[in-house]
Amino acid sequence: MLEAVHLTKHYNGVTALEDLTLRVNPGDVFCLLGANGAGKTTTINLFLNFVQPSSGTARINGLDVTEQSLETKKYLAYIPETVMLYKNLTGLENLEYFSALAGRSDCTRVQLLDFLKQVGLQPEAADQRVGTYSKGMRQKVGIAIALAKNARALLLDEPTSGLDPKAANEFSALLARLSQDGVAVLMATHDLFRAKESGTRVGIMRQGKLVRTLETTEVGHADLERIYLEHMHD
Amino acid sequence: MLATLLRHDWRSLSADASIWVVIGVFAAAIGYGTINGARWVAFQQDAISEARAEERERLERHETAIVRINRENATISAFADPRNPDAVGRSLGARYVVLPPTPLAPLAVGQSDLLPSYFKITTDARETVLAATEIENPHRLLTGRFDLAFVLIYLYPLLILALTYNLLSSEKEQGTLVLALSQPISLRTLVAAKVLLRFTVFLAAVVGLALLASLIIGVDLGAPGVLPRLAFWAAAVAGYGLFWFAAAVAVSALGKPSATNAMVLAGVWLALVVLVPSLLSMAATAIYPVPSRVEMIQATRVASDEANAEGSKLLAQYYEDHPELVTGDAQQAMNDFNLVRVAVAAEVERRVRPVLDRYSQQLTAQQQIVARARFLSPAILMQDALNDIAGTGAARHRAFVQQVEQYHERWRAHFVRLIFEKARLEDYSGLPRFAFEDEETGAVSRRVAGSLAGVAVPTVLLAVFAFVRLRRYPLVG
Repeated sequence: MLEAVHLTKHYNGVTALEDLTLRVNPGDVFCLLGANGAGKTTTINLFLNFVQPSSGTARINGLDVTEQSLETKKYLAYIPETVMLYKNLTGLENLEYFSALAGRSDCTRVQLLDFLKQVGLQPEAADQRVGTYSKGMRQKVGIAIALAKNARALLLDEPTSGLDPKAANEFSALLARLSQDGVAVLMATHDLFRAKESGTRVGIMRQGKLVRTLETTEVGHADLERIYLEHMHD
Repeated sequence: MLATLLRHDWRSLSADASIWVVIGVFAAAIGYGTINGARWVAFQQDAISEARAEERERLERHETAIVRINRENATISAFADPRNPDAVGRSLGARYVVLPPTPLAPLAVGQSDLLPSYFKITTDARETVLAATEIENPHRLLTGRFDLAFVLIYLYPLLILALTYNLLSSEKEQGTLVLALSQPISLRTLVAAKVLLRFTVFLAAVVGLALLASLIIGVDLGAPGVLPRLAFWAAAVAGYGLFWFAAAVAVSALGKPSATNAMVLAGVWLALVVLVPSLLSMAATAIYPVPSRVEMIQATRVASDEANAEGSKLLAQYYEDHPELVTGDAQQAMNDFNLVRVAVAAEVERRVRPVLDRYSQQLTAQQQIVARARFLSPAILMQDALNDIAGTGAARHRAFVQQVEQYHERWRAHFVRLIFEKARLEDYSGLPRFAFEDEETGAVSRRVAGSLAGVAVPTVLLAVFAFVRLRRYPLVG
């Protein structure tokens, strides 16, 4: 579903991502681990076609994202590290707008409210201006936007940072459900625990390179941490 | 998709109080500007009707006096004799010629507050009758009267820029842009929708408010030519607005922060709306300075002193030049004060002519510079278009002055003939009359279309630049 082939990105001579080859199949939850600047966000931005690759290709559903940018975005949902919404509008209005952009202008108010309920937003918050929301609440609206889109691939850039443990847990449950539904998930995260918990595979990145890929079923929490730190140290 | 974008953009815009403040201020400015324009036109019309009343009353008074003098066989000084063609042509029978304001004149005061809209025609020299007019008008170019044209040329772009400078940068800065563009929608579509919404809102607000204000001040929409001119006016407002939208989007497309965009666009506004027009007028006067008024007056005085000294000789010469005027006893005519005066006046004019010619040559040269260089600033083009539409522009005034000059010639020829024939006027029905022949609508349309094309060209270039540049808009980093 998501596929990177020899994907490389240089910024003014600095290598942000080097020769990444990666495949995330439907139902996979692939977690990218790594320090800041390891190339996780660059990978996601390349899939979103927000930055142009220096070489290699990123494909979504078999389509090159640079050539068929708009088409590929139909299959794609994205939740950034900090979901920013239109402050003057309510959560519901934001959800309605982004869903309409996603092609779901047919969603009724009841359906939209249901999405917000699924992600655990307090019912009374739906009609409040987003300006009054906490980061966690905005994050939930972001997840609702992704749910409403009914996307087949999900790009997540540290989506749980700033969520309280309960919300993070609910989010993991949601990911598991999406994974069962056959959604391909690519998630950048610092959270080893969450990666082990929700991921089917993890990839460890360092200085723009994918240095290790593991099946989460193969390793325990402690092993994963040890392996991660080994790669960070050498 | 477009409908979604428009609806959303309107929602976010209208949820923000600033747009209502902006539109409110703008509405007040439009109302105030239109009322100012209407007051100016009313003032002009008052002056015109006062002049006409004075003329009618004076002519009637003198015609009545003729009847009385003839009946009583009274003696009266030649200067005050309403039957004496010299006295009538010089002052008693003077007529006003008027450039009538068009129905849309309140929309743009233009140069009508500097260029006289009526003259008093006498047999005096042309330069006395038509106090020579200069195109140089830095006051108007710098500040101008607070009329609707001022609101449109100066404030309208500022308001457009205020709502457009951060069109993309604000979304980028507040982080909503990435979320929007993770949806199947291109940046260009997003920008186009934003511009379309703001443009429509502004155009509807401006045209609607201005029409409303015009109706309130009593513009007659049914008068001939008003509707096509209003259509041109709306096209000018739309075209000028689009230029500023294109400028704002072109600057936005560079991907700089909101603050930088604001600085750059404020600079562009300052340069195009304030600096270029005033520099242009300064350059025109510096390159082609007109001779000083003092020099002109001096030349006139010297010439008239010399000519007066040669009075009778000049008359003899005048007779040689105008044999058709020879009537009866030439020797007696030599002593006729009125005839000598005609000859002296002709000589003074002949001698002053070179100074005047240089004056008008320089003025023409200035006008030509401005006519070419005006394409440097859409603000000047817009002012020209609005003035042409309102009938308060330089071209219509030039046509008026030309007709007045011809009329003045006719007036003088008429009286010179009467003076030489030693005629006595019994009434004033035979005095030459003046009627202003207004420009053809086609000529006005062509000029306005020329100005608008001058605004359209840079607009298209900026739009193309923005379109190309948006492809490389830096979404992240």
